[in-house]
Amino acid sequence: MQEEQFSGDDSLRLIQSMINKAKNQFSENGHLYLLWGWVVLLCSIAQFVLLYYYQYEKHYLVWMACWGAFIYQAIYLYRREKKKHVKTYTDEIIGYVWIAFVIMMFLFGFLYGRILGEEYYKFISPGFLALYGLPTFLSGIILRFRPLWIGGICCWVLSVIASLINNEYQLLLLGLAVILAWIIPGYILQGRYKKQGALT
Amino acid sequence: MEFKELDPILHSQLRLAVISLLISVKEAEFTFIRDKTNATAGNLSVQINKLKEAGYIEVIKQFKDNYPQTICKITPEGVKAFEVYVKNLQSYLSAK
Repeated sequence: MQEEQFSGDDSLRLIQSMINKAKNQFSENGHLYLLWGWVVLLCSIAQFVLLYYYQYEKHYLVWMACWGAFIYQAIYLYRREKKKHVKTYTDEIIGYVWIAFVIMMFLFGFLYGRILGEEYYKFISPGFLALYGLPTFLSGIILRFRPLWIGGICCWVLSVIASLINNEYQLLLLGLAVILAWIIPGYILQGRYKKQGALT
Repeated sequence: MEFKELDPILHSQLRLAVISLLISVKEAEFTFIRDKTNATAGNLSVQINKLKEAGYIEVIKQFKDNYPQTICKITPEGVKAFEVYVKNLQSYLSAK
């Protein structure tokens, strides 16, 4: 870029072009949506199979796989932050939305156990489905990415449906919710990110 | 109609590009700004210093993995100056 005299029109064009360059810096590659989408999908199907076909008592242990995913995510995020050359307000806000979601998940898990005792399983799937909807919907709105906010709404609709059906089938709705809210948008985000990489 | 003078610090192609870029993000590395503006490292470094001296941007120099890293972020004064610049530019263009 050369230093030279330039007109008011040139100024305006330059401002627009630079703001667009920053705006088009699309940093969401969908990796974590896919990670958690697949982990929750496989866990919910595995729990359903153990519960419905084998009547295995400790069916809930399948969710221990989430700890592995948490450790992987922590390492992945640490490496990703180190590689970043720019921090946008969008990334920061979305980060906080998901931190709030994780805190709410642990809090709800604790409160369900504390208040409802053995009855917790009746509420856990509809409650978690309602919770899944919140960060998904907000991320979709902030990123202006329709598949995500539609996915968030799907979670809320499925949480109401879950309250009307048997507990074991609620697990299948959990699987359906993550397909709609995280796996499908995750693959679209991944495709978009790769396309951006090919263009730059 | 009287026109207000455009801020000479901002009315320069590369400095305006840097400020326009920084207004849209929280912070950016020197290399990111260089890539987006297609400027040479030397020229960019000079213009960034001028913006820093005017108090429009904050420059943080640190080490990342044993390599020096320069991070730039716009200051509240920089945001204000940019807003005034755009306002004056608009009044100038609408009167044309």
